[in-house]
Amino acid sequence: MEFLTHWLAFTPVFALPLIVASLGLIVNERAGLLNLGAEGIMLCGALVGVAAFLEFDGNAALGFIFAILTGTFLGFCFGFFVVVLRTNQVLTGITFVFLGAGLTGLIGIPWVNKAFSAIDPIHIPYLTGIPVIGRFFFGQDFIVYITIGLSILVWRFLYHTRTGLRMRAVGENPQAADAAGINVGGYRLLAASIGGAFIGLAGGYLSLVVAKIFVLDMTQGRGWIAVALVIFSRWRPWRAVLGGLLFGGIEALIPRLQATGVPIPQYFLAMAPYAVTLVVLIYAAVQIRAGQDAPRALGVPYVREDRK
Amino acid sequence: MTAALEFQGVHKSFDGNPALVDAFFIAERGEVHALLGENGAGKSTLMNIACGLYSPDHGVVQVNGEPVVIDGPMTANSLGIGMVHQHFKLVENMTVAENIAICHMSSSGRESLNAVRKRIGEASRDIGFEIDPDRRIDTLSVSEQQRTEIIKVMMGGADILILDEPTAVLTDEESTRLLDQLKSFAQQGKGVILITHKLREVFSHADKVTVMRAGATVEASCDPGELTPVELSRLMVGEAAPSESLELRTGGDVVLELKNISAKRANGTTALDDLSITLRAGQVYGLAGVGGNGQTELAETLMGIRHIESGEFTLGGQVLKRPTPRELRRKGVKTIPAERYIYGLAGDLSVMDNFVVSHLSSGTFGPAWWINRRAILRGTLEAIQEYEILGAGPATRARLMSGGNAQKLVLAREMSGDSRVLLAHSPTRGLDVRACAAVHEYLRDACKRDVAILLISEDLDEVLAVSDRVGIINRGRLVGEFDAPVAREAVGQLMVGHA
Amino acid sequence: MQALSLSFLRSRRLTIEVRQKIHLVPRIAIIVGAVLFGLGICIAILVSRDVDVASIYDEFIVFTFLNAYGVSTVVVHSTPLVLVGLAAAMAFRVNYWNIGIEGQLFMGVIGCTVIAYYDIGPEFLRLPLMFIFSLLFGALWALPSALLKLRLNINEVISTLLLNYIAYYIVLNQVFGPWRDPKDNFPHSPAYDDFERLPKVGWEDVHYGIVGVALAFAFVWWVIERSRFGIQSRFVSANPRMVVAIGLPLSVITLISALSSGALAGMAGFTIAAATEGRLTFQLAGGYGFSGIVIAFLSGNRPLIVVVVAFLMGGLYVAGESMKVFYSLPDALVGLFQAIIVLSVTASEFFARYRLRMAHYERV
Repeated sequence: MEFLTHWLAFTPVFALPLIVASLGLIVNERAGLLNLGAEGIMLCGALVGVAAFLEFDGNAALGFIFAILTGTFLGFCFGFFVVVLRTNQVLTGITFVFLGAGLTGLIGIPWVNKAFSAIDPIHIPYLTGIPVIGRFFFGQDFIVYITIGLSILVWRFLYHTRTGLRMRAVGENPQAADAAGINVGGYRLLAASIGGAFIGLAGGYLSLVVAKIFVLDMTQGRGWIAVALVIFSRWRPWRAVLGGLLFGGIEALIPRLQATGVPIPQYFLAMAPYAVTLVVLIYAAVQIRAGQDAPRALGVPYVREDRK
Repeated sequence: MTAALEFQGVHKSFDGNPALVDAFFIAERGEVHALLGENGAGKSTLMNIACGLYSPDHGVVQVNGEPVVIDGPMTANSLGIGMVHQHFKLVENMTVAENIAICHMSSSGRESLNAVRKRIGEASRDIGFEIDPDRRIDTLSVSEQQRTEIIKVMMGGADILILDEPTAVLTDEESTRLLDQLKSFAQQGKGVILITHKLREVFSHADKVTVMRAGATVEASCDPGELTPVELSRLMVGEAAPSESLELRTGGDVVLELKNISAKRANGTTALDDLSITLRAGQVYGLAGVGGNGQTELAETLMGIRHIESGEFTLGGQVLKRPTPRELRRKGVKTIPAERYIYGLAGDLSVMDNFVVSHLSSGTFGPAWWINRRAILRGTLEAIQEYEILGAGPATRARLMSGGNAQKLVLAREMSGDSRVLLAHSPTRGLDVRACAAVHEYLRDACKRDVAILLISEDLDEVLAVSDRVGIINRGRLVGEFDAPVAREAVGQLMVGHA
Repeated sequence: MQALSLSFLRSRRLTIEVRQKIHLVPRIAIIVGAVLFGLGICIAILVSRDVDVASIYDEFIVFTFLNAYGVSTVVVHSTPLVLVGLAAAMAFRVNYWNIGIEGQLFMGVIGCTVIAYYDIGPEFLRLPLMFIFSLLFGALWALPSALLKLRLNINEVISTLLLNYIAYYIVLNQVFGPWRDPKDNFPHSPAYDDFERLPKVGWEDVHYGIVGVALAFAFVWWVIERSRFGIQSRFVSANPRMVVAIGLPLSVITLISALSSGALAGMAGFTIAAATEGRLTFQLAGGYGFSGIVIAFLSGNRPLIVVVVAFLMGGLYVAGESMKVFYSLPDALVGLFQAIIVLSVTASEFFARYRLRMAHYERV
């Protein structure tokens, strides 16, 4: 019972970076951008979040804000390369990952390995005490609740606002969007920036709340898992939440299992998220084969006067 | 009365290739003005300038008598110009309402999607179309999709309505309904420009007609009532060129047969409709027709990249089920594709590579583990000489060759080795007179070697000059077959007439 | 006057056009210029860290390339770099984005450690067996992603990447577990026996790994230039649509390229483990994955240029190492510099591929 309560309580915490990053990537990919640099942007967000937190005497809100700003800026840069200069999206994305690792390694020394205690989870008098599920639903920190709002916001944005609809059009059929007078490049840049903001927030949360420390290369592939998650969620926000919770659950399980002394080799447990991601990818691919879920123009640059 | 839309002296080329040469066009309000011409005549290019997708290199565009700069679709929209393209600019995964919302929903969320839905309902009632705003585009029929496009354009307040080959994808009944609707738009005071290649529509519904050919305006703003179909088709396809003398070849055995084949395009329209063609050894079968009537799908079938939905594909007496490109090539079916740099050549690779790539498996140039470079070089040089490929050596990148020489390279590759059937799809497109003659000479040589040739071309002169037997394709059906010598006007009429 | 000048501006419009012809000389000039620009930024970063320019010159040019010992060190470092560069090139030239080179490298090391740890085979065969197993394990680790791509169209970038992490944890599991060295209880495998190590050629630390490199280069060159597969596979990146239309076996081409890529990465692991490290550790991969990608990208997937670029990259590594020590610069510095150069070069391709044009509307 204790085990279950603890595990469920921590699942959203571990899930959150993945969910938020996936939401950002969904916005990106709906507009046709494959942002493989998420891993690097997340790392930078993680660093800046901690740096701001430490520099401003433990102000978590500022930490998050700076993380978001960093992500937005880096997302915009990625968009600039890929949309304006029309560089190869895969190569640029991967390069951004190593750029992020390099930049954080270079600039981040003053704030590395400085542990702190940051955000406390909320505590509602009666509700939080409910056995097993109490803490899961009512005992999380405020960012988790904001994220629920964020996922609804993303859904509404993409399906009910003109800007969101246009962004989707740009990712599905840039020729149609262009003919309708939509500035394809502009909307993609916007998507890149918004996506970057989300990814930066995910990074900030990772360092400020999940780990409560910044360590070099701390993202450990979460950016890639988020990319896989987006495919698994077939580009729909609510599925990304579910998928993120699944992965968060697995991640939260690992320390629990180790604590209870289960005799599974430690590193096989560590491998689990990546192996599960592979399985998930395979499952999604089989599903996608049947339908047509991916934005049609994903990964392809658009040149209006390109007459074949 | 000042013209609604006017073009004067418009030039446009794409990276050096001219598409419009001194084109002019004047459309007035209150009438349906047909813009007539074959594929490549420049009609779509000209209208794309009007709706802001292309910009002219030189020339004047005037709307309501005022010179304008149409730098994008938004500007065109604000000038009252709306275009319904041949390939619909609709997002398939989204609903009708969403598609229209991306253009016409007011920004900053002031207006909700529901409000857009209501507006669509009102607009469709005004216009007289019925459309369900919540259906996804990919669940709609083609004519319903077209109606969505028209509603989209009308809701944008379009005054000048341009439609690019709208009846190409419609049934007869739907076409008539649409054309009647366009006439009523004109009567309401709008300017309607109808891009078409169908004479029937011009005579039945157009008030004026302008004919374009090879990027230039041949005849402007004529009254269709004063022209005969013969005159009009002559304006469209040009004067009869002196035909090259021809010994009639009756052809040998049947090599390839396509019986009653049908195929559909991705958007659901019929591309090939119960088509049957027989190719005989040593004979050129020329398939004439205006572009877009199924030629591409037929070529794809012969290349093996498209599978027919019904009918039979027989080669040398054997029925082939779903043949792959490899299988077809191995059995001697070769292709000179219409799109040279898409299916024919790799522009960034050398002449040698492009020449030798399909011959490697035969072992002529060495075993798989050690190709014989000297033999390849020799073979390439021989081919260059034999086919008189100029301006390029074996190491030159294919992209740098002129159109004619690139085509000769494709020919050289496809005709060496064993071939039984050769598909030549628009083989002289973009080539100068000399290169054309050379290509035709090679085709005749191939005949002498008992190759069965299928020539698909939109250039009627070419088809008539080279073929022993001529078929005309219209809307995916074979509407006529003649043995040479062939009456040009009869063929021309079947091409632009109604199936 | 005012109205006239405004309408003049309005009547012109900047558009982008795709170039049809890209000539070689300007293209090379653009790339070289971009590299120099990127290097300039890197030097600026170093200077901002209080490294004086003279030291930079000394470290990167004099001690590294103009000094016999320096050159030998560069050769040693370049050995695995050439191999990962070739590995990346073999995959990228057919548009197969094998990002899992590091994982395949690790599995290569596991492969040869298997032989060494379990003392498989007679002594004189040990080293060749280790060599073969490293290739085998590397190729096998590349296989799943290739199959997933061909069968289910799963993006190979992600699948190879995930396998990177899994390989890393397998290594950790082994060195912290069953293969832990009992002598010092450190997380590495027991040291290889003498006959399980690549001997030195006699010039400083340079070892016979360079023979492996020569073999690999010969193999790759043979495949690309002299085999049927080589010519056919050129078309995959030059014109993918033509490949199917002309009947080339795309699946086979992709599979062979992916597997040889993995094998070469495994070989790189072998040279590191059997020569420099002498055992399995979890730290021996050191960013070789990304380096391989960078090398392949900068050399346009051409084997000969891969060797040259890898050698220069080796110099960057060596100089970077000593700078890290002397000026306490972070480990990620080399990766950062590589990223900067790549971004610079890839951005510069814009000018090679596209042309800016002015559209001109006449006024009546």
